Amino acid sequence: MGKTSLEVVYRGIFQKTLARNICRAIVLAARKEGKVGIGFGRYGDSPERNGIPAKYFAVVADTQEELEENLAMYEADNVDVTVAVDDTLCKGVESWGWYGLQPINQLTKNTGTVLVTSVQGRSDLVRDIHTKDVPYNIGVVQGSTSFSGLWVYKDDHTDVRVLGAICKVCPEMVSLESMEEAILEQWNNPVKVDSARKSHDRIETRVVEPGEGNPEEPFSFDLPGWTTMEEALVVRNVEQGAGFRGGDGGYEPVRNPYFKKWSTRTMRPVVNFETCIKCTLCWLHCPDSCFDVTPDGLYDSNMESCCGCGVCEDVCPVPDCITMVNEAEFEGNLSQWEDWNTNKDGYNKWMTEIVEKQKTQEPRSHGFHHVGQYREEVGSVTDSRNVVEGL
Amino acid sequence: MSTTIEKPEQELLISGSEAIAIACSMADVDVITAYPIRPYDTVMQYVSRLVADGEMDCEFIVAESEHSQFEIVKHASAVGARVFCGSSGVGWFYAFEALAVTAGLRLPVVAMVGNRALDDPGAFGTEHNDALAVRDLGWMLNWVATAQEALDTALMAWRIAEDPRVFLPCAISADGSFLTHSQVLTNVPDKSLVDKFLPRYDRGDKVLHPDNPITVAPQVNEDWLMEIRRQTDDGMRRAKGVVEEVHEEFRDIFGRGTPSPFFEEYMTDDAEVVFVGMGTLALPVRVAVRQMREQGIKVGFVRIKWFRPFATEEIKACLSRFKAIGVVDRDYSFGSPDFGGVLYNDIRAALYDSEKKPLVISFIAGLGGREVRGQNVVEMKDVMYEALATGKIDRDKQWIGVRR
Amino acid sequence: MTQMVDLPQVRGVKNIPIEEMFTSGHRTCQGCESALTMRLMVKAAGDRTIVTGSTGCMYVANTTYYTSPWVVPWMHTQLGSSGAAATGTAAGLKALMRKGKVKDEPINVISFCGDGGGIDMGLSGISASLTHPEYNHLVLLYDNESYANTDIQVSGSSPWGANSTFSPPGKVHRIMNTRWKKNMVGMLAAGHPDCRYLATSCGSYGLDMTNKLRRALTIGGPTFIHSIDPCPKGWDYDPKFSHELGMLAVETGLWVLYEIVDGELFLNGPSKAIAKGMKQRRPVEEYLSRQGRFAHFTEEDTKFVQSKVDDMWERWWGPGVIPINVKED
Repeated sequence: MGKTSLEVVYRGIFQKTLARNICRAIVLAARKEGKVGIGFGRYGDSPERNGIPAKYFAVVADTQEELEENLAMYEADNVDVTVAVDDTLCKGVESWGWYGLQPINQLTKNTGTVLVTSVQGRSDLVRDIHTKDVPYNIGVVQGSTSFSGLWVYKDDHTDVRVLGAICKVCPEMVSLESMEEAILEQWNNPVKVDSARKSHDRIETRVVEPGEGNPEEPFSFDLPGWTTMEEALVVRNVEQGAGFRGGDGGYEPVRNPYFKKWSTRTMRPVVNFETCIKCTLCWLHCPDSCFDVTPDGLYDSNMESCCGCGVCEDVCPVPDCITMVNEAEFEGNLSQWEDWNTNKDGYNKWMTEIVEKQKTQEPRSHGFHHVGQYREEVGSVTDSRNVVEGL
Repeated sequence: MSTTIEKPEQELLISGSEAIAIACSMADVDVITAYPIRPYDTVMQYVSRLVADGEMDCEFIVAESEHSQFEIVKHASAVGARVFCGSSGVGWFYAFEALAVTAGLRLPVVAMVGNRALDDPGAFGTEHNDALAVRDLGWMLNWVATAQEALDTALMAWRIAEDPRVFLPCAISADGSFLTHSQVLTNVPDKSLVDKFLPRYDRGDKVLHPDNPITVAPQVNEDWLMEIRRQTDDGMRRAKGVVEEVHEEFRDIFGRGTPSPFFEEYMTDDAEVVFVGMGTLALPVRVAVRQMREQGIKVGFVRIKWFRPFATEEIKACLSRFKAIGVVDRDYSFGSPDFGGVLYNDIRAALYDSEKKPLVISFIAGLGGREVRGQNVVEMKDVMYEALATGKIDRDKQWIGVRR
Repeated sequence: MTQMVDLPQVRGVKNIPIEEMFTSGHRTCQGCESALTMRLMVKAAGDRTIVTGSTGCMYVANTTYYTSPWVVPWMHTQLGSSGAAATGTAAGLKALMRKGKVKDEPINVISFCGDGGGIDMGLSGISASLTHPEYNHLVLLYDNESYANTDIQVSGSSPWGANSTFSPPGKVHRIMNTRWKKNMVGMLAAGHPDCRYLATSCGSYGLDMTNKLRRALTIGGPTFIHSIDPCPKGWDYDPKFSHELGMLAVETGLWVLYEIVDGELFLNGPSKAIAKGMKQRRPVEEYLSRQGRFAHFTEEDTKFVQSKVDDMWERWWGPGVIPINVKED
């Protein structure tokens, strides 16, 4: 008798079908062992937005009665396995105003497992993950992050490789044999079964001790009650902004303190302040009003509010003046301009290195670029109707 | 203490609709929206004349639908304008979305419902199901019985709705035809008295204006809505006290009004059997009650004025004095407990924990504007006495005045 | 309101106001072009502005309860109520100012809606609002070509053939949305002769949009702007290309930039250059092939869209303005 549960933390829209595929396959595979289960998206994440972290859950139980403990809930109380299908989610998850930053391991049980799809090592990831006061395990499903849009699913086997790994780290949820059977039934593709098995055989985990990891206290808020909230659905606006860092020159908007949005980011813009021609386009076209205007007329992207869409890189007319760099390369959200202003040589050296490194890496693809793209990348495009059902 | 003053009033021959239009003028309403539907729009026909003749200064907007009609006044109210609107029957239902959000937004829109049966089939006669449909949404609901009461209640409605302790919309229901289309002698008070009674609408720091940068009604999730509903609930609870307060002050200033703001009793002092109803039903029932009294039958009548907020304790104290109560609904609630009316079910629920429980019987009468006549009232009286004698209620006799 | 807010035309992109009236911290998608439209809208209008917004992404995503990214006062209105909200806000202010109940001063009134709210449900309310010359307000329609907020369902503004959760390409029916996109500005211009200003716009042309907003807010009476907003979620593309896809929509001629001022039509930017023969229209294939929502298109489908766009440019009265031609006897 027992009950096991799992969450898939994913990037909204880009990985919705992926997260759903994983959770569905678990429930269907567990059924082969006579178990019952459910899969559900966290309703509060809906409507999903591109990149904004979201969650999908699967709960498997031996009996209907045990399963009922998890029905009519938005979120499981705790999970045996947390899967992060993008490694930058290890920095934390902020899905809605007032949610605060939820550590990726927030729901992971004592001695449960966090599985991350990543090309980074386990220790690099642990550095980003907030500390926990109980031990848990971490494992890496090796591979770059799988992103696609809603209409065209990028079937690069990330789904089954994660499923294989889950069977290894939590065999009480579902066995590899049942999973293989379910995968074949779902996709009718023996190559995907092989992918799952290989991943199962390769996955290794290590224990993360209590107190190990990012010691920062994640930001959180206390919700007011009906006697302290303002009536008539009124919310006070933020103030008009003023000079840069409170000074006379430049401009810095006041920002919504209850939703920061940076946990949406998978890449961040790195600015070469030396080649900037102050054309204003990055500032003008930023949908998130991220750019603070410095007194010297430069634009400093505020890393608390930047969600990493990359429009600034696309509109910038100067080659390499703005480069989107993998978020995993960074710690913290400090101002690049302030770094540059205090130590120009040091900043320029760091900036050049990190930009050059990015160029050598496989580019992180954030969805659909052109017809045939995924066919070129993975050799097959699934029937888009399967994808539509994922909504 | 009543500070009765000399009443400089004018007597006019006007309908209930016209009385409310005059109240709009006296209250210096800022924005009024109209859309044609019988019978409520008689109020707007009169308003438009007052505007055309320069007797009233307001933005009078003829909207392209009831939905826009109610949305326009909702937004005008949000920027601090005193507003008036109205509708009837399915027109009220066309505005239903706007009605729901107006209450949610805590905006003191005052509306007149000229009660009308719902389509299909199209019908012009009165039924209360139109106004009653918003009974759960945070609208204050009131039924009036005379043109005088329509005028007086309208003046009180802005005062109550715009009280910052309340900030809820208020609908005044007037029966189609009987109130909207018949003219009676009505006392119109002097504007100076109205000014004394009714202060300007001040939305305070909830007003939408560049000097008060607020955001109104962002999208909520499950973390917030329950608290918001509880706030509206509290507004409605407070509204009951404000109704009492305002009613008392109105009586002081204008020297008119029933002792209780919530209901009016008629020949109930020693009554055994009492009818309960709303609106113009009062008129034929009172006539019948008088006739039965002449025959020595101890009957009486209680007319409910405020349906929301529902004065539970006061109504309970009043009605538990009697042996049997016949609730006469000019509405229906198909499939509800006892297949009774809407008012019946609320009254019976209010009496549930009363120490003295009278027999409560539901009557459905006067639907689609059908007249309720003296013989119908006698018929209901017989059913009630029979039930008292046998201890059993004959459910086949609930519908009064219907052809078999 | 007796006067209009003083909002001079902006010369040069560097003179676009620096102050943010819609700030960071809204829950929109990465690369959301509609969020940019909101930002440019209130940037152009300034702080003496009241905004009402009807249900849609720019409500649900932008404003999550007990927070706000708005600096100027903002209020929600219902899905089909952008026209009524504009009228009600302007009428309320007008009455209060005339009666001396609030200070008589110019205040911009802007009401926005998405394509679902504006082109489908709210059409009658917008139409009514444009018939009131006594009220100064702007209705801005941000068009991401689907009910993107509710899960990307087809709207009256969705392009022919686009994939959506209500128009999925299937085994028997490849094209489920067989309707051509509604022509909103042309329809409103033809039907509301008292409306002094109507325009199309696109956030990719920020200066053009800023100046159109300012013309709309200063000319007097009710005005209307229809903005095309690329949507990475519903159109399915990498969010970094939002700006580029907006430009492609214009350069392929699918979206025509124009304004109608006191009954006179002016083409703007690349649309003007195309009409004058100074610039070639790019093939629609360049635009369609970049979006997942058209990934199921065959060559014939693309050709069909191209032929319809050619019609807009060659057979309509004014490119993309009115689908009527005067027939010679």
